[in-house]
Amino acid sequence: MKELSELNLPEDVRYTKDHEWARRKGETFQIGITDFAQDQLGDIVFVELPEPGDVFQNGDEFGTVESVKAVSELFMPLGGEVATVNAALEDSPELVNNAPYTEGWMLEIAASDPSEFDQMMDREAYLEMLKGS
Amino acid sequence: MAPLQTPLYAWHTAHGARLAVFGGYDMPLWYGSAKDEHLAVLTHAGLFDTSHMAVVMVDGPEAFDLLQFCFTTDLAACLGPRKAPLKPGRAVYGAFLTEAGHVLDDAIVFMLGGTSFMVVVNAGMGPAVARHLTDCRRGGQAEVRDLSGQVGKMDVQGPLAATIMGEVLREPEAVFEGMPYFAFKGGFGERPPAVGAVVTRDGVPLLLSRTGYTGEFGFEIFTAADAIAGVWETIVATGQRYGAIPCGLAARDSLRAGAVLPLSHQDIGAWPFCHHPWPFALPYMPDKSQFSKPFLGGAALEPCQAPFTYPFVGQDLRKVSPPAEVLDQDERVLGQVLTCVTDMAIGWHANRVVSVASPDRPPDFRAGGLSCGFVKVADPLPWNTTLILKDKRRQIAVRVVKDIRPDRTARRPIQTMLQPKEE
Repeated sequence: MKELSELNLPEDVRYTKDHEWARRKGETFQIGITDFAQDQLGDIVFVELPEPGDVFQNGDEFGTVESVKAVSELFMPLGGEVATVNAALEDSPELVNNAPYTEGWMLEIAASDPSEFDQMMDREAYLEMLKGS
Repeated sequence: MAPLQTPLYAWHTAHGARLAVFGGYDMPLWYGSAKDEHLAVLTHAGLFDTSHMAVVMVDGPEAFDLLQFCFTTDLAACLGPRKAPLKPGRAVYGAFLTEAGHVLDDAIVFMLGGTSFMVVVNAGMGPAVARHLTDCRRGGQAEVRDLSGQVGKMDVQGPLAATIMGEVLREPEAVFEGMPYFAFKGGFGERPPAVGAVVTRDGVPLLLSRTGYTGEFGFEIFTAADAIAGVWETIVATGQRYGAIPCGLAARDSLRAGAVLPLSHQDIGAWPFCHHPWPFALPYMPDKSQFSKPFLGGAALEPCQAPFTYPFVGQDLRKVSPPAEVLDQDERVLGQVLTCVTDMAIGWHANRVVSVASPDRPPDFRAGGLSCGFVKVADPLPWNTTLILKDKRRQIAVRVVKDIRPDRTARRPIQTMLQPKEE
């Protein structure tokens, strides 16, 4: 298990209390799960994602990540319509473990209210939350 | 209450284990990758800290009679196809039942000597089983002692287990001679004459047993609690040269499920101990018509009422998480899911399940992993019945099967495992 000091928590994404992250990419937002989340889950062997065009509210369950041991829900960090899903995760779910903020991204969404992004935690606030847990 | 720690706790934390409480103990779930740990037991070997398990000693002139009455397996008729009596140096699996035929816990009974038995039960169950046995005692001629926390235990499981132990032990050839599945040698503590029969090169006495909880070839190793850390370090260092890695409880759980072994208090528990995949743990006469001995809880199982427990295997690696219902194809509720995990070493090929260790696996076989486990249903089901397992988020189709992971190695003779060819 990683110590907090070993966690990869990039500055260019925002975080949720459910351990998802979002990154602004022009008009859309890329989302995934944090290094802390993947470390807690262990080997991810299957990722179940929605279809492009599906619409979710902020906080909705949008899919699952499955480890050898358990199935865990994924929650939307901001509301919107799914623009793209990361098809590479179908054959290589371990990308979520190996590169949670890059190749292991999950969705790109067109946010219904981009200001929700500004309300998400920055690196410092997320780290503070982890220290408290 | 703070979780208990095994003598290897400091080692686990120093080696990056993800910990979780199991049976009252803070135990490693995995170190690096539960999937790699599961696969290592099929291809090389895995090392497990199992010091959380409890040991209860039963000694005295009436020790045999006490266990014969309280334990489900017939100790007078349990060895080999001819059902010979249990003898020193042999162990047998079974369960302790309540009057109602429900499971208090499952156990392996090791016969140390004519009047001396070591009973190994699940984590945290030492006091309850010791109390149960003490209450069942009719005279004073059997002494029951709970050694919970006083015994160190680790398992070495996988095809290279004997090769690794061959480097760890003094005179391994003599130790491995005449040691079939469920045989054991040596001892620990102060129990001559067996203590000293199995000793590490560093001089630590062990009880070495051809048992385990993975379905694969290997050993359970018992020693004094204060000696286990040294033994663990030695075996980890030796094992490393053979591709053996420390494994956590996640791999242990997925390996045992694929091997159709029950988890006590999950797959067996507070319901009648019958109509399950472990009939060898009940003292059936050869014609299965009745029991060969009277035993505590036995009367409640003749005849045995529902439920029925079956192994299942899924179509792919997707799982449901209990609480989950078992439905038939018309969506009628048949029962509930007891265990559902993923065995990452298996996959479907040409309408059969193949393992990464199957000798006849196709050359390009890549195990995608399959969900598997046990269901408990009210009525009997034919083999190969398709069931729907449904939890709060998904439904998966699974098949009722007799066995799950094929080509397991647990019963192989040691001599055939000593110099396995590397592929």
